[in-house]
Amino acid sequence: MSDGQRSGEDDPARASEGAVLLVEGLVRRFGDLTAVDGVGLRIEAGQTYGLLGPNGAGKTTTISMIAGLLPADAGTISVLGRPMGPREVEVKHHIGLVPQDLAIYPELTARENLAFFGRLQGMRGRQLIERIDEVLDLIALSDRADDATKDYSGGMKRRLNIAVGLIHRPALLILDEPTVGVDPQSRNAILRSVEALSGEGMAVLYTTHYMEEAARLCDRIGIIDSGRIRAEGTRSELITLIGGVDTIRLTGAGPVEESAEALRLLEAVDKVGVEGRCLTLTVHDAPTTVAQVVTTAARTGLALDEVEIVRPDLESVFLHLTGKALRD
Amino acid sequence: MRALWIMTFSDLRLNLRNRSVLLFALVIPASLMTVLSITYNTGEATGLTGSQSLSPVSVAAAVPEGDRLGTTLLTALTHLNDLDIDVELTSADRARALAGSGEADLALFVPEGFTDAVRAGRGPTVSTVRADGTGAEVELLLSVIGGTLEQFHDGALAARAATAGGVPAAELDQVALQAALREPSVAFLEGRTSSEQLSATGALVAGQAGLFLFFTVGFGVLALVSERETGTWTRLCSLPLRPWTIVASKALVSYVLGVASTGVLLTVGILLLDVDFGAPLPIALLVLCAVAAGTSLMFVVARLARTAEQANLFQTALAMILGLAGGAFFPLSVSGPLDAILDLNPVAAFSRGLGITSGGGGPTDLGAPVAILLGSAAVTAALSLLLPDRGRAT
Repeated sequence: MSDGQRSGEDDPARASEGAVLLVEGLVRRFGDLTAVDGVGLRIEAGQTYGLLGPNGAGKTTTISMIAGLLPADAGTISVLGRPMGPREVEVKHHIGLVPQDLAIYPELTARENLAFFGRLQGMRGRQLIERIDEVLDLIALSDRADDATKDYSGGMKRRLNIAVGLIHRPALLILDEPTVGVDPQSRNAILRSVEALSGEGMAVLYTTHYMEEAARLCDRIGIIDSGRIRAEGTRSELITLIGGVDTIRLTGAGPVEESAEALRLLEAVDKVGVEGRCLTLTVHDAPTTVAQVVTTAARTGLALDEVEIVRPDLESVFLHLTGKALRD
Repeated sequence: MRALWIMTFSDLRLNLRNRSVLLFALVIPASLMTVLSITYNTGEATGLTGSQSLSPVSVAAAVPEGDRLGTTLLTALTHLNDLDIDVELTSADRARALAGSGEADLALFVPEGFTDAVRAGRGPTVSTVRADGTGAEVELLLSVIGGTLEQFHDGALAARAATAGGVPAAELDQVALQAALREPSVAFLEGRTSSEQLSATGALVAGQAGLFLFFTVGFGVLALVSERETGTWTRLCSLPLRPWTIVASKALVSYVLGVASTGVLLTVGILLLDVDFGAPLPIALLVLCAVAAGTSLMFVVARLARTAEQANLFQTALAMILGLAGGAFFPLSVSGPLDAILDLNPVAAFSRGLGITSGGGGPTDLGAPVAILLGSAAVTAALSLLLPDRGRAT
């Protein structure tokens, strides 16, 4: 196999203990808008890194630069110690990209799609045939491998979309919100497939705005908002960041904004977020504060339908760090 | 290079599975040729197309008795091929009356002493009266009368020259007659290489081939736009490929499809409509150049279109405009600067080239159309590089 046809699995640099992906001070501007503002992250082999943030936070722009689709205005990206950018061809052998939009050919079968992209990655012969079967097994599509993908369900297409990114055993797999618009059953299948990847020693960069996905899959999580990484660490490290902060959710009818203003004045309430009929409060000790919160809300005329106390999770962390909910 | 072939073969396979390609590249053109074939064959059988037969013409002629040249003039009229003429010798008054009533299509008056007057170079007048409502037959007859009188004049000049040169009087009539009835020694035919060589059917086949070429080449290059929409473009850009490889593969697909479909269309036209475009080698050269021009133009469309739907609209509009201006539906004849502009149209250049090949022209005779086609390819390719990519901006 020539250098140009090398897949990631036999590269000596990958076996080293260095980072598979190292990003430092990444900046990307679109006119006056700074979409990515000094992002830095590091992913090692076998590690899954979650980039958690709402839509428009800069996740897709960040991974577009990492995958060599967009040039960066500033900062450096290196994959297995080699610089990465739109003009770097060889290093792209070590990356597998799973774009947010489906990137498969509907007229081709799953096997033909995998063969096409595998060949473009330099694979051929028995190596390619065996790998196609392996990947089809992983995404549970072996029984439909020879059907045209235009006849697949949305979930099956999503799974194949991931399989194409895996076909050449990349050192780094980048998944851009792979479960958007997927039914719960397929979503679960996708998450199981991603979980299996870190067992193969693959480094995975996973972007999502679903907190529970990040919590389930990722060894480390970077919380991104307005183009900046607000915090980074393991799930427990991030929750520790906000101390013993709890969340109280109030749902009701009436003057929601007036209630929010009144609740912000309470000493025990740290932050208040509003989304439709729902108020999300971060408080230091929910059990002792909830009575005062409910009374204050009722006094402003809010007719409460539901009160919920939530122990700290990644969404709480996000709310604490950015003052808004992940769905914003 | 391996990636280029992989993408090209995969795209060709996709296109063959896509029924639209087969429809536009083969089925529609072949069906159109079949319909044209039936129409033309039926038209020729019923006289709706091809040469029209001329109606008989009646002439009432007043010619002085014994006037040699007057009689010769009548003889010339009655011996015309393809025109059935009935000549009635009568008096001047009756001839005028017959034309006035419409019983004769034309009244012809040869003056007294006509032959002597011609010989003496006095310029006698032969007059005619044309009946109302007469058609092209009488126009033709008037042209023949005019031409014959010119020949009489030439004969008289020759006779006078012979007299001056000492030719015996007994031979003067023979000299005059030879000069008057001579066949022209040099013929002059006005026309352009394309129009003079291609039959109406051939021009139509050539124009249709040019028109459908612009539909077929779109299936390769315009896939760039749909790949951008479907997301595969993003994935292809993330692969270890030189960026030009992706674009080149689309161009190659366009080229192969364009050459194949144009070849099929011309072949079907030749077989069904009995059109002779000449030798295969110069035709192949023209097809290769025309497909290059079409492919390049599609890159401009790919740059301008934001969506695949928009690209298809642009492509259709462009194909129809160029096809119409190139004579794909009916021969287009204009003069002046507009004619020069229309000549730059790749479809027109392609048809013109086929006109040259059908007249026996070889590759060396195809300079102008080939230059136009390749020039068009170069200009549009350069333009596509300069234009902003509107689709990528979305």
